[in-house]
Amino acid sequence: MEFGWTEEQDALRARLKAFLAANLPDDWETTASLSPGSQAVTDFSKVFCPKLAEEGLLASHWPREHGGNGATAWDHFVIGEVLWEAGEPRGPQYYNVNWIGPTILAYGSEEQKALHLSRMLKGDVIWCQGFSEPSGGSDLGGIRTKAEKTEEDGNRYLVNGQKIWTSYARLAEFCFLVAKTGPARRDVSVFLLPMDRPGITVRPIASVVGDGDLHEVFFDDVEVFEHERLGAEGKGWEVIRYSLDYERVGIPRYALALRTLNRAVAELQDEDCFVPEAELAAATALTACEAARMLVYETVDKRMRGRPDTGSASMARYAVVCAERAVADFVLDWTPHLFTSNDAPMVATHHKRAIAAGLAAGAAEIQLNLVARDVLGLGV
Amino acid sequence: MDFTLSDDQQVLLTAFDGLLDNYRTPPHGIHGYVAWDAAFQNELDASGFAEIAAQEGYGSLEAAMLVEAAASCPVGVEAAASMLVGPLIGHTSGVLALAWQIGRPVRYLAQAQRLCIFDHDAVLVATPAPGDWEEMSGVSAYPMARLLRVPADACRLPDDLAEAVRRRAIIGLAAEAAGLVRGAHEHTVRYVKERQQFGQPLGHFQAIQHRLAEDAQIVQAARLMAFRAAHADCSRQAAIAALYVQDAMRKLIHDCHQFSGAMGLTLEFPLHLWTYRLKVLQGEAGGRAAQAHSVASATWPKQKSKPQLATVLERTI
Repeated sequence: MEFGWTEEQDALRARLKAFLAANLPDDWETTASLSPGSQAVTDFSKVFCPKLAEEGLLASHWPREHGGNGATAWDHFVIGEVLWEAGEPRGPQYYNVNWIGPTILAYGSEEQKALHLSRMLKGDVIWCQGFSEPSGGSDLGGIRTKAEKTEEDGNRYLVNGQKIWTSYARLAEFCFLVAKTGPARRDVSVFLLPMDRPGITVRPIASVVGDGDLHEVFFDDVEVFEHERLGAEGKGWEVIRYSLDYERVGIPRYALALRTLNRAVAELQDEDCFVPEAELAAATALTACEAARMLVYETVDKRMRGRPDTGSASMARYAVVCAERAVADFVLDWTPHLFTSNDAPMVATHHKRAIAAGLAAGAAEIQLNLVARDVLGLGV
Repeated sequence: MDFTLSDDQQVLLTAFDGLLDNYRTPPHGIHGYVAWDAAFQNELDASGFAEIAAQEGYGSLEAAMLVEAAASCPVGVEAAASMLVGPLIGHTSGVLALAWQIGRPVRYLAQAQRLCIFDHDAVLVATPAPGDWEEMSGVSAYPMARLLRVPADACRLPDDLAEAVRRRAIIGLAAEAAGLVRGAHEHTVRYVKERQQFGQPLGHFQAIQHRLAEDAQIVQAARLMAFRAAHADCSRQAAIAALYVQDAMRKLIHDCHQFSGAMGLTLEFPLHLWTYRLKVLQGEAGGRAAQAHSVASATWPKQKSKPQLATVLERTI
């Protein structure tokens, strides 16, 4: 057990910061304060990610035969920390490298890997996640969207149903879609569905997170084919669990939270208002971020050795939610003007993203259920 | 980064676990508040584990691991100060006490062979003699005594060594508290699996599951943060780890007592052997305010401030 970064990882961090200094426009922080799914951030991601790919930093942790360069999960996390702290210039494409790509690597056919991984590596493809529905959000087993095989062609399904709260759907080319393929609650399958298929309707939902973050997606007799199914029919639950373990700790959210905290403290110091009460509140929020960091790192470490267990990923996710909230509350308590004005765009960015942390990738209370069951053995 | 124990660390902890096995079971019958056990202390001294931080191939991280492991037992032993601070001041055997303020109760003072006294930035090292202290009774699970005067042989440590002693003391505090929250939490989880109410174990109720799941996160984060501070041997990380656990323990202590019901109020039930040590550590070394000040000073050094409105107004007038 040891807690240091290697010289190579320190160098990677420095290299990436230099890359950002050279490649982020002057008005980036204002752009970043929009949602990752906004038109502006999505457009910028299609400029930024190809450059990141040229540097070998977009999906460096993927296997060499699939376009990676042998980097470790730790290296990828260093990249994630620097980019999230900077406001995530990969936009919605962090999905691709953090969890959709790795899930396709684990469960995809050679054809699927060739098609999708190569597009992700180019840095210009947007995906959305078709999980939540009006009848099943945290309770993913309650979804009703069906993919039924047609009688005349056993190779073809027709998808009918509705997804909701779907991030990035309006601008997405593909959907990582979960649909029922049998009568039982667990009879679900995952499909890699092109979003330009006839029968798909996307409606944006205005949200406090910003434009492009929430949508309704309707499926009316949408064709999807067997070769587009990820993994075996009816075995989607395993694929979902695998992807969620990656998604829950995919974003180093504490990195932007710490940047926000630093900004708020600097404001107080500048005004000579960093009184002992504020010092206690700020330092306590900082420890929440560091606790989250440690639990996330533990999950990354497990990922290095195979795959993370659901319990530790859920524990890390819950800690991240607590950290986000601690920092958001500190800003509201001590520097409310940074929240109510546009003086510090990254503070607004943090607030918009933090408010969703306890809901995305499964509500925080679901994470507690999983910790209670899988880590503590309660209620089993 | 590597969160897995090395082979050497695994061997060390397995061997230490063997020593702890005699002290994992709560003492039978009704006993007082105090968790400390002289036999445990003697066995630890004789084992050589207490000097681990000074041994080749090991260091403060391994000492913190042993401190955390020892503190998870319901039977108490002074390990944090002697294992982490001891090697810095040549203390090789017996109890080392840490006095954070003259006149206030000090843990293990009556049992101590050596004593560190913290006075602002200064640290004194002394050999406590009869008359220097008086034993105290109270509700602490630590044996406590009050330091009445500075012992005659006290001498001041050089500033750099004093800073190192303070840093190690805070790391020890964080590691010990991490072990204590683990012990209290594990005991409570076991209890709610056994105790039946409304026809099912308490642990089947989601209201209880969620709070114990939150506490599981506290336990694991406190442990990792203490170990990270010990590995870095860093004052800022030490203060972060100590502040985190001193803050978070308040909820965890409350939850553990709530879920233990009235059994947790009895002295035959061992919960207090962890929680009443934690209650002392909550305010140790200046408590949250002191750790927060250390964290803030190290993280956000004071910046030059803007001219204040009052100054400007004064100038205008």
